[in-house]
Amino acid sequence: MALKGLDIFKLTPKTNCKECGNPTCMAFAMKVAQGAVPIEKCPHMSAEALATLSEATAPPMKSLKVGTGDAEHTLGGETVLHRHEKTFVSENLFAVSVNAESADAVLPEMEKIDYERIGERMYVEAVNLEYTDKDSYVQLVQKAAGKGRVLILDVKDAEAAEAALEVCASEKPILNGATPDNYAAFVELAKKHGVVLGVGAPDIDSLHDTVAAIEGLGYKDLVLDVTGPTVKDTFANAVQVRRAALKDGDRTFGYPSIVDLKKLAEGDHYKQTALATLFVLKYGSIIIMENMSYAQALPLYGLRQNIFTDPQKPMKVAPGIYPLNGADENSVCATTVDFALTYFVVSGEMERSGVPVNLLISDAGGYSVLTAWAAGKFSAGSISKFIKDYEIEDKIKNRTLIIPGKAAVLKGELEERLPDWNIVVAPNEATNLVKFLKEL
Amino acid sequence: MGKFVVIGERIHCISPVIKKAMEEMNPEPIVKRAKEQVAAGATYIDVNIGPAEKNGPELMKWAVQTIQEACDNIPLALDTSNRAAIEAGISVYNRTNGKPIVNSADAGDRIENIDLAAANDAIVVALCSKAGVPSDNDERMVYCQEMLERGMEHGMEAEDMWFDPLFLVIKGMQDKQMDVLEFIGQLADMGLNSTGGLSNVSNGTPKHIRPILESATVAMAMNRGLTSAIMNPCDARLMETVKAADIIKNNFLYADSFLEL
Amino acid sequence: MAFTRKPQTFSASINEVTIGTGDKAVTIGGANILPLYTFDAPAKNKVAVGAEITDTGVDRTLPGIASYYEGAETMAEIAKRASEMPGADFVALALNGADPNGDNRPVEECVEIAKQVADAIDVPLVITGARNVEKDTELFSKLAEALQGKNVLFVSAREENYKTVAASAVMAYGNKISAESAVDINLAKQLNVLLSQMGIKPESYVMNVGSAAAGYGYDYVASTLDRVKDAALSQNDVMLQMPIITPVSQESWAVKESIVTEDDYPEWGDRETRGIDMEVCTAAAVIAGGSDAVILRHPQSVATISGMIADLM
Repeated sequence: MALKGLDIFKLTPKTNCKECGNPTCMAFAMKVAQGAVPIEKCPHMSAEALATLSEATAPPMKSLKVGTGDAEHTLGGETVLHRHEKTFVSENLFAVSVNAESADAVLPEMEKIDYERIGERMYVEAVNLEYTDKDSYVQLVQKAAGKGRVLILDVKDAEAAEAALEVCASEKPILNGATPDNYAAFVELAKKHGVVLGVGAPDIDSLHDTVAAIEGLGYKDLVLDVTGPTVKDTFANAVQVRRAALKDGDRTFGYPSIVDLKKLAEGDHYKQTALATLFVLKYGSIIIMENMSYAQALPLYGLRQNIFTDPQKPMKVAPGIYPLNGADENSVCATTVDFALTYFVVSGEMERSGVPVNLLISDAGGYSVLTAWAAGKFSAGSISKFIKDYEIEDKIKNRTLIIPGKAAVLKGELEERLPDWNIVVAPNEATNLVKFLKEL
Repeated sequence: MGKFVVIGERIHCISPVIKKAMEEMNPEPIVKRAKEQVAAGATYIDVNIGPAEKNGPELMKWAVQTIQEACDNIPLALDTSNRAAIEAGISVYNRTNGKPIVNSADAGDRIENIDLAAANDAIVVALCSKAGVPSDNDERMVYCQEMLERGMEHGMEAEDMWFDPLFLVIKGMQDKQMDVLEFIGQLADMGLNSTGGLSNVSNGTPKHIRPILESATVAMAMNRGLTSAIMNPCDARLMETVKAADIIKNNFLYADSFLEL
Repeated sequence: MAFTRKPQTFSASINEVTIGTGDKAVTIGGANILPLYTFDAPAKNKVAVGAEITDTGVDRTLPGIASYYEGAETMAEIAKRASEMPGADFVALALNGADPNGDNRPVEECVEIAKQVADAIDVPLVITGARNVEKDTELFSKLAEALQGKNVLFVSAREENYKTVAASAVMAYGNKISAESAVDINLAKQLNVLLSQMGIKPESYVMNVGSAAAGYGYDYVASTLDRVKDAALSQNDVMLQMPIITPVSQESWAVKESIVTEDDYPEWGDRETRGIDMEVCTAAAVIAGGSDAVILRHPQSVATISGMIADLM
């Protein structure tokens, strides 16, 4: 629990010596409680008091690494409940769930989901391995290992878990199997193999008790499986765990979470899409699904990318030539800024028109058209420089360049700088692009 | 952070109209002033009945009920040195729109008003002084600490103690103004709420100058972290300044019509 | 150490607004908790789901939609079918054909269609306009008159036409309106202020704070919704306590994922499935953010989202 000013005051020497730069010990204590000054500013604190305080001033949610190499991911480390308050820092992972029976069918399907979106690789980062029996489990683990995915060992049998860890501990899997009944053995296993331990319980109260007991055994590399018997319970658990950690200072719940949608909605593809959405927004660190198709991945990964962007930093697409609708060297060119939202709206409308267009994206600082223009980042100079640097005139024969309606003012200067080109001004609103391109 | 709390100061026994109304227990002038202040944007209304040694409890009860009934249970600051009157006022107070404020305690004779506030789940204005004006900010801070400890010992939340740095008159104590602002900053650093009688700063200055000095003071003090003031909400310039500063501090979401809200 | 529950309830709450009449009238809003946080306190009303139909007819290129509306040919038949859709609480008529840059259907024809729809259903009716300020101003005024007494919700009044729309739809004919602010929270608040200053009562209007399909700048939508709820509940900002309606269908079915054919993108698979997933994802997101009503197109989306709401509330 975060300490209040008065609690900290009780630990101070109460001498008002002013050596910390504050007029009184109370004033100092209140500032420490606010996080405004570090406790070490007081030269007269006892070692015991310092230990109590350093515990209380640690980050509210643990940050953990799972997987290795390219498959290494960071979980947790969040400090806010809403992205506008600062930013979310660790994207949730998506996992598919397989067992001995389904692995051969599901794993190859999962591997098909692999594409890039605004500079980010979109794929299924983790695989949940369901335990059915001892004999087949090691085989299942071997099948899933080595594919560059974080493995989640969904197993509550300590012996089977041990055998699985022998095979895959070097891949830094998550051992998701500790319960109120078996946690002592699982803590030993996790310690021995140096892996993150997943903790589950029938309800939120026993989850809290179990985590506290595990912390008491000295293990703190934990993720909390908040999956409950129903959707309602699971959502309540996910929110209350995160809120307790970040808002109410309950460090026992300061760990990343796992939600298993296969357990909640097996066989219901669309329900899993809806629930995955819910947990991307509200506090799922790892979201396990029965399967992942393109139809689900396209909206879910897009949403995740949106939610986990830093609100202070606009999403940008990489500068370059984007041929749309099968555009080639004879197709017209159009240009706009690299602000991801603008790019998506403009390219979406252009694709809707069916007209082949080479969309030229230059570095405009990730601003919208008007802002970039006002900041001098989207100008006749920057556009003509892009055309020169990217050797557009060698690559494309067509000499029509469409510029955004909101940057119509650039037409004259562009005509001077690019004398061979026919500069055409597009409509102000992207929604009118379809009609405009068809009539061009 | 919440919006700046404006405590309307215009029901004060020094005003001849109010004094007469209180003597006669005539609700009309009091209700009129209360309504004017609410309409102008006051969050709380201060009710100063003076020492009222003769009929304090009776008068405060009457005033609290009269104003709250007329003004949709507007929250009130009960302002008197008569402790029994404050207790009587709280006994009939309606909390729908906010806790009562005990105005005020200090680190000297009136420190027991903190106990009173704690016992009644009220907010207390805690004057950072003991006897007279504190000589410097160290002294203010010592009083602040004494009162804070007292409140916490009695189970108060720190957020219910609104520390008053004592605004000082510019015409006479011009050189002390930045000290007061500095102290407000110290309170804010500790996460504490603050309030104070803003009109003190302009005492003795010409009528048309007063709102200008008070507006500048409140803007500068809000920048330092002042969370409330006891002031005249019916002065347009002053209220506009408070509202604009609230917008700049992101205490209240901007809309083009924010001054009308 | 036992877990200490700290329910987060607010003394402020979202306004309640009722649309439609009779047994099937729908009330939205009323919550004093963050969206879907029913573990803190009960939500007063369920999030409402609307089935979208349009004057341009049923999109029979999608098998799931075609089979649901099979045999329904006239607007009245289509509307009746939509009103019976499992999970739907209201019907949303989108007058897309009225768009002056499209079919430019005359106002009189639109009124006729709306009357047919209104007469065919017993659930509440929401009408979204041509999304053209001039046309909608006239359209909403005429529709409001024709549908007096039906307690219809018109989506949406904008900065440019709120006065006329509010005066006719609400003040003259007692219907409801939504104020649209395109992901601009200051404008959202300002429109509410302006409407309240006109004398429009809180129970007569809702907000459409704007939307985007998942992946298409949804970050701005998410934060706008978060900030609206924060201001409304924790700051008790009465000018943001209006319930929110989000027309999810229009954005979700207009993005590439829902449009391109399987022939062009074979690895993406069936187009209808993609469209539904996009609609379901976007709807679940705005509901998690605090939308009190959503408008959806596909019967499967309506079933899934109403199921999710039932699970959570």
